[in-house]
Amino acid sequence: MSAIPAIVKRIFSSNKISFIITAIVVLCATTSGDAEIALSNGNYTWLLAVMTPFFVVYYDYTKLVHLGASKKDYYTGSLVSYGLLAFFISLINTGIHLLIDPLNRTQTVINMMDVCKWTENGIIFAYFQQALFLLLAMIFLHVLLSMQPYWYGWLTDSILVAIICIFTPIAPLRHILAGFFKIIMFNSHAFLHAGVCLILSGVLSLIGLAVLKRKTL
Amino acid sequence: MIGLTSVTKTYGNASVLKNITLQIDEPGIYCLLGRNGAGKTTLLKSIAGYQNITTGKIEVDGKVISTSTLDTGVSYIENFAKHFNLPVNKLLHIASQVNPNYDYELASEMMERFELDGKKKFNHLSLGMKTMVSTIICLASNKSVVLLDEPVLGFDAIMRVEFYEMLTESFRKHPRIIIVSTHIIEEIAKTIQKLIIIDKGSIRFFDTLQAVEEKAFSVSGLKKDVDVATENLNIIGQDTVGGLVTSYIFDKPPVVGASLELKNLSLQDFFIQMVGHRGGEKK
Repeated sequence: MSAIPAIVKRIFSSNKISFIITAIVVLCATTSGDAEIALSNGNYTWLLAVMTPFFVVYYDYTKLVHLGASKKDYYTGSLVSYGLLAFFISLINTGIHLLIDPLNRTQTVINMMDVCKWTENGIIFAYFQQALFLLLAMIFLHVLLSMQPYWYGWLTDSILVAIICIFTPIAPLRHILAGFFKIIMFNSHAFLHAGVCLILSGVLSLIGLAVLKRKTL
Repeated sequence: MIGLTSVTKTYGNASVLKNITLQIDEPGIYCLLGRNGAGKTTLLKSIAGYQNITTGKIEVDGKVISTSTLDTGVSYIENFAKHFNLPVNKLLHIASQVNPNYDYELASEMMERFELDGKKKFNHLSLGMKTMVSTIICLASNKSVVLLDEPVLGFDAIMRVEFYEMLTESFRKHPRIIIVSTHIIEEIAKTIQKLIIIDKGSIRFFDTLQAVEEKAFSVSGLKKDVDVATENLNIIGQDTVGGLVTSYIFDKPPVVGASLELKNLSLQDFFIQMVGHRGGEKK
């Protein structure tokens, strides 16, 4: 039997805390009834995508290798897990957006799928766009977290902070930064958005592989 | 097959492995001996591809090994290896799933033999039992090279005996290269085929135990008599007490007269003489 399904199963099992925290936040988050707008509880499902890479990188890696998993299987299993999780999170948020958000008739409910203009292409496209964006976000976090013990991780952190700090106050640079986020996130053009997310996910996966190849134990 | 060619590993200015060249071709149980800080763990981790060497080349079954080798075919386990906090049964089962070559039958057999409580979670086990679980996972991995870094640490005497038997049985069932690093020298002697002694990052000795039995001696007596008897022989150490001298040799047995005492060296004494220093000072 291939090791990948077992690794995926283990990654999900050891990620229970993320599932529980996300579920609690999604179920308990409220917006004041006096406010004109309310945040959709579905937005908080993204929390799972943010937390999962922390467990995969810092908790699962060493233990899986000690159990005899190869680096190759660990990495493939991680990417498969992110893919499955991205489509799962997107499904839940899409479900909340379709079924629960309309129940609030007194407030304008803001869901990230609307904010990012994905729903302009219909709910099916929005579902896929959201899933691909979340996949990109998880792979990005995985790569960034994997780099942290090394000098190039700190360098990457510094560059990212520098880009935000320098690009934000200077108008022309701010437009470039905004343009980048418009392409990867706030993009109503479904195919362009999906293509960019897939290409960036592929590039980041290759960078992640290079980082893994340098990773010591 | 393991091949090390001019392997050097440095941390800053400190050389942990110094130009090591070693070829292990035959399956067998090899014992890696060395003092604390001699470079044993660094050597084993480098062979496992857990860390990179500074210069040189490591090959396992013809495959160059480094951290970039995604599937090394080497199973390495260290003390205090971290595992998922799951019941032992489940842990061994997961190990069989994540490693397609894993011998689950052997792992279950060993678990029963060591009376490991399969329902007990890993973090609730004693140090010895934790090490045992890690060792079982490593031995059952069925990889062509198995590296055990101080596996008997935390074991009581009975567990150690059981462990050596388990090692022999595991090897008999699946002959492969097993390298065991340990400090408890005499106990493992019955189990191993070859001995590797590492000292200050260099390989001092790599040969069979038979070679030690046939060539390692101590010659004691008056200095002039000892000097004559051991002339042109490979002297690996010398002790002087009053006017009496004991020379430790690794060579053909010397011809000694009645005034001299010739003894075979125990493995431990041989090791002490090979690493050539006591109490941190070079003799």
